[in-house]
Amino acid sequence: MSALEPTCAAGLPYARRPFGHFVALLALLLALLAAFAAADWDWGALTDAERRAQAATRIAAWLVAFASPDLSPAFVRQAWELTLQTLSAALLGTALGVVLAWPLALGASRAVCVGEAQCTGKGRGFARILRHLPLRSPAALLCAVCRLVQDVLRAVPDFVWAIILVAMIGLGPLTGALALALNITGILAKVYSELWDSVDASRYAQVRSLGGGRLATFLYGIRPLAARNVLSFTLMRAECAIRNAAVIGAVGGGGLGSEIWYQVRFGAWDKVGTLILFTLLLTLVADLLSNTIRRQLRGDASRQGGSASCAVAGGVTAAACTAPPRSRMNAAPSGDAARSLAAVASASESGTRSVAVADGGARPPLSPWLAAGLVVLVLVWSLWFMGWGNRAGEDGAARNHLAPAAELLSGEAWGKLRFFERLLQPELDFAGLGLGDPAKAEARAREGKAVDLFAEHGPLEFWRPAAWWAWQQELQKWFVWRVVESAAVPLAIAVVGSVLGVAAAVLLTYPHSATFQLHAAAFSGETPAPWQRALRAVQLAAARATAVVARGVPEVMWAFLCIAFFGPGLVAGTLAIALHTLGVMTRVFGEAVDNQPLRRFEPTCGASRAATYAVVAVPRVWRDWMTYSFFQFESNVRAAVVLGLIGVGGLGFQFSFNFEWFRFERAGTYLVMIVLLTVLIDRSSRLLGLSRVGR
Amino acid sequence: MHQPRTASRRGFLLSTAALAVAGTLGLSARQTQAAQRPEKLIITAIPDDGDADRMRENFGALARLLGKAVGLPVEYMHVENYAASVTALATGRAHIAWLGAVTTAQARMQMGDALTVLGCRDIDKRFVSYFIANPATGLGTLSTLGELAQAAAGKGWSFTFGSKSSTSGHVMPRKFFMDQTGSTPEKVFRTVAYSGSHDVSLRMVADGTHQIGALNYASWDKADAALKARAPIIYKTPPYIDYALAARTDLGPELLAALRSALLAIDGSTPEGAQLLSYLKAGRFVGAEVGEWQQYVELLESGLDIGG
Repeated sequence: MSALEPTCAAGLPYARRPFGHFVALLALLLALLAAFAAADWDWGALTDAERRAQAATRIAAWLVAFASPDLSPAFVRQAWELTLQTLSAALLGTALGVVLAWPLALGASRAVCVGEAQCTGKGRGFARILRHLPLRSPAALLCAVCRLVQDVLRAVPDFVWAIILVAMIGLGPLTGALALALNITGILAKVYSELWDSVDASRYAQVRSLGGGRLATFLYGIRPLAARNVLSFTLMRAECAIRNAAVIGAVGGGGLGSEIWYQVRFGAWDKVGTLILFTLLLTLVADLLSNTIRRQLRGDASRQGGSASCAVAGGVTAAACTAPPRSRMNAAPSGDAARSLAAVASASESGTRSVAVADGGARPPLSPWLAAGLVVLVLVWSLWFMGWGNRAGEDGAARNHLAPAAELLSGEAWGKLRFFERLLQPELDFAGLGLGDPAKAEARAREGKAVDLFAEHGPLEFWRPAAWWAWQQELQKWFVWRVVESAAVPLAIAVVGSVLGVAAAVLLTYPHSATFQLHAAAFSGETPAPWQRALRAVQLAAARATAVVARGVPEVMWAFLCIAFFGPGLVAGTLAIALHTLGVMTRVFGEAVDNQPLRRFEPTCGASRAATYAVVAVPRVWRDWMTYSFFQFESNVRAAVVLGLIGVGGLGFQFSFNFEWFRFERAGTYLVMIVLLTVLIDRSSRLLGLSRVGR
Repeated sequence: MHQPRTASRRGFLLSTAALAVAGTLGLSARQTQAAQRPEKLIITAIPDDGDADRMRENFGALARLLGKAVGLPVEYMHVENYAASVTALATGRAHIAWLGAVTTAQARMQMGDALTVLGCRDIDKRFVSYFIANPATGLGTLSTLGELAQAAAGKGWSFTFGSKSSTSGHVMPRKFFMDQTGSTPEKVFRTVAYSGSHDVSLRMVADGTHQIGALNYASWDKADAALKARAPIIYKTPPYIDYALAARTDLGPELLAALRSALLAIDGSTPEGAQLLSYLKAGRFVGAEVGEWQQYVELLESGLDIGG
């Protein structure tokens, strides 16, 4: 919000030309160069004719199989059961995640816990940095601790939680759901705390001035103001959880994910096709359902008059608050858009108060009760299904799969955690640096495996590339340095994958946009012939189908497929990330374009539609796009770590390798690196004011 | 903007108290002594067969055979990776586990004297691994792995092991490779992957995802002929000792003795026993001492470069 204030207030485009974009572009170029330099790219799968032919054969085989999926009743029934398993695990995981995330988010929200508003950019330089220091007050320390906890929950891959939980409560569908819940807790706590932080402090100042403490300020000020967003983000998360639950099965929780991986390994493409169809079915239904509800949420707000509904169109358009709302806006597909909902934040918040007033006089609304009833019903079903309904692979014997949860209350289950105690003592390999126990350090030095940084080149030779090369070689003898280097792989995959995906999404958004394919006549002045209109409708449908498939299939499944097609390696991982990014981004990008009032495009009357898209629509929404893209990059980094586990390499692979070899100390170091990566990206995005819901 | 100090202090105290309570709940738990004679025995196995249903069926049969002999219900628990089976045994989630040599050594390193061996198959004392190659590589039978390293130089071939913690699918082939070539697979091949199980390795070499692979001989032998033709053997390793049926010593000497004799008594006379033995490619089970796997503990502790 704050970034937009000058634009709105002054009515001028920009008081001074922002050069942040150039810095960002430069940083992006550097990141791309670094990505190509840092990791060991093997483009052979794409450039080598023979291997390309092989990959093409496999893709063709897959396409043929996908066109004729295995629809035998037995397999369809199995797939249906797996779908239900996945669904119930996701729902339970989300429900638990919501319950756990609230207290954590209360602690992690600066506005609630510390009682300071989000820094608004007024403080400059040092003062701004100081606000992020955790030691300035006890509450700030608590806030920092809660943020660290949520980062750890988010960063530690859910399969690791699953392994730890298996040791505690044994194997079963519940284990997967709990592991998922821990991960979702971290994500939701982050989102909630950011939502609460982004509420403008002046709007709940009256609660404070009336003597309300922090809890009262939260309950009567912050919470109601952010309630609508909290709800829509929770829905959005549930939708993502369903996607992720399809993956967690890989640790034994069952579900679609493990079955797909299993069938991919055996090359049973017809079965993979069926399973992917079911995954798509599940994610699509979740997609549509959460959309409908969120559109409802948004619709309420936008009915409150022009200003609110206009703000729906995204932060950038806030400057044009005087434009009348378009009637078709509410009808436009509202999109996955956790993120575009971020943009809605301002709209719905300003709407909430008036909604409350308006609803107060009329008959009490029924829909909240219906919604609550539905949620309860769904939860009861998933509890029943997980506990008693699901007997797959158990010889049909009735048993209660929820019973293991009781073991969490016993001391014995927690005692089992000691098995993983060594994870908390990461190997720092001081001997490699010549520190610590002198005897060990000496032994290492004698083997020539200790770092002697300036053996060949002194620090004064920093201008010689050879010196840097030698230093790097020397540092590699230190285990921790190798750990840091292994982070290059997920980072490189995420950078290249995000850039590819975003670039493709920019192109796909044009055919994906209803504005440019269906409503172009309103601003272009042309009168398309019926066949042209039909052609455009077909284009639109094809683009939407592409986007739906690209985002409906989770990135881990894309990775399974890409590895099967191109062989394991960075290229497969990058393609998987790019494909998923394409799907998610096209939807959010398209929404930003379709939410623009059509009259914006009128000045270009006479120009072709493509030109209007390129020179009017894209610049208008560019800022929002870039914000969304950054968030996607953030989640892509975490996805890339997980891809490492299934054969892409790098940090995730090294972690799982050491974990599986019970070298917990080493695995601990890799785990610290994974957490550090998440924390660094999160903190820098908070510092740079790029936070997800801030604008 | 500033809260009164008392309020913030109160809040802080409350929150630290909450954290402390949570911490105590988490840490105060003490490991309790496992019961001497459990109500139900859980048996698990390393998932060296990619086909989970086949494993459920056959190890379920083993569980029933053992259960009938000792008069306790025995249940097979399927896990998805090697490490999970060791973890299950070490944490007492499972009482008996069908482990490979390396996983036995890993369990031994975790559990010390809490681990014992019930027995192993007759074939386990002279186990071998095969190196296989896709016919497109043009490799024939090799006498040493050094020839493989020479042939692979500059070809950009891709290599696959089975599971990371597999003895016959990873550690022993790697050890022989390193002994005979003085190099590591990572240096010789373009990529070194871990397919997860033996028959997946076989399939991946057969369809050309990887050019070379290593797997245990039993998995290759039981594959169908068409598959074998697309992934012929290029090298057979020297013999070594492999799988063991390991158990926790806290089951008590009586129960362990009963389990041992029940295991040795399994033969082809019952249909279940015959099916199990044919699945395991074994003639019968034989007695073994946990000390026979000590060489693997030493191998692992010597800091063998396992590529991680």
